[in-house]
Amino acid sequence: MRQWVVACSLLLLIGVPTASLSQRGESATPASPPAVSASLVTSGHREEPPPALSSLRARYKTLAKQLSRLKPQEPYILVDTARNHLYLKHRDTILLDALASTGSGTVLPKPGGGTEQWVFDTPRGTFFVQSKLLHPTWVKPDWAFIEEGLEIPRDQTARIEQGVLGTYALGFGKGYFIHGTLYTRLLGKNVTHGCIRLNDDDLKRVYQVARIGTPIIIF
Amino acid sequence: MTSSVSIKSLGLGHRLSFSNFSTLLLSLPSLKSTPPLRHRLWFLIVMGVLLLTTVTPLSRAAAREPFPDVNMNDPASLQEATRVLQEEILLASRPQNYLLIDLVTKTVHIKGRGLDLYRLTIESWSFEAPEAADRTYRLIARPPLTRPTIDLTGSPKQIPLSLEDMPTAYTLSFAPPLTIEVQPSDERNLFHQLGTSLVASWRTWKKWIRSFALGSLVGEPTRPAPYLLLNIPHDQAKSLAWSAVDGMPLIIRRPTEK
Repeated sequence: MRQWVVACSLLLLIGVPTASLSQRGESATPASPPAVSASLVTSGHREEPPPALSSLRARYKTLAKQLSRLKPQEPYILVDTARNHLYLKHRDTILLDALASTGSGTVLPKPGGGTEQWVFDTPRGTFFVQSKLLHPTWVKPDWAFIEEGLEIPRDQTARIEQGVLGTYALGFGKGYFIHGTLYTRLLGKNVTHGCIRLNDDDLKRVYQVARIGTPIIIF
Repeated sequence: MTSSVSIKSLGLGHRLSFSNFSTLLLSLPSLKSTPPLRHRLWFLIVMGVLLLTTVTPLSRAAAREPFPDVNMNDPASLQEATRVLQEEILLASRPQNYLLIDLVTKTVHIKGRGLDLYRLTIESWSFEAPEAADRTYRLIARPPLTRPTIDLTGSPKQIPLSLEDMPTAYTLSFAPPLTIEVQPSDERNLFHQLGTSLVASWRTWKKWIRSFALGSLVGEPTRPAPYLLLNIPHDQAKSLAWSAVDGMPLIIRRPTEK
């Protein structure tokens, strides 16, 4: 008896809503979605009468222009962290498509035994070139020592390392840089601590085109 | 090299270099012996420049149209596109990337500063309570990730997180309440399909029971939270999971035709 009750309950649970899912499946083609009605944009709390077609057209065009003006008008840097590519673009034209290395997404617990940790992601969003450095020096942060199993030095000069960031570096805030690398075989992979690495030729090109204030859009 | 690139970026669409062009111009005075030919050449150059300065901005403007498919004779379609544009202008002026789900063109746009950074194709979708989805949402729960911890024992094999580690089936939760369920459209696994239909069934039942209970107790129907199911190819589902970050804004363009 109990088995019958369980079986019937399961049947009800799966059977009835599956019918509604299949209806939803049919509605999946945007050509005829029954879940969405023609009165969609005038329903809900928008009960005022729709504006005239001509004013709607004018409004649409004004807004389209406004949106267009927000796009970078000068060359900009675009970084795809999923596929590890850096693009130098001007409007719709790609000036450079470079293989890059971006953040590894790994974590490193901070010393002290707490729950705090470093997360090695490349930040996403829009940034701007804040500094342009020639022959940059790497000032090693705490995590670099911990990762190597070394003690964090008290002497700041012990943090300085020459020649590991390549010939050029472009800073975009909070210690993040676009810089060169000694590990060119790792380009195209997520291996960095958040910075963006390029090979020497691509880095030189980016350095030449970018100015202070050039947008860097990372996704 | 630089000059050839700059000409390309001006939209001329060919790789005529400045050196060739200047050689041509310098050679013009040598055509003094044949004035009609010289005049004709200058005329052609002037006309060419005029044509390029008028045609190129027009074609660029067409390419930059935010919704090329919008029906300019349909008030509902225009109103929806205008609403989305209004919301998008606010988002594009901020440093954060945002998502635009265009159900009309079946595309997920990853955007920043008004630019289309990446596009994902939606195979099919279904939408519950779409009339309520007329605002900007913020992502409060992205797909869970298991981040590798750096091995301090000095093991040479440090495996980073990559696109391949991203899930293909997941839920994105937003505030104000909106749920987006992402399912891989090219998943052929029977257990996966069974699991999907069970989850969907449970959702429908839960919603029905809640509305029934609230309707009986309170006496008035509640406004359901929007629920969007997206079926997208599994590699694109991974891309979306990768790009979705906490607090990321989202706007949805809904279809207006029956």
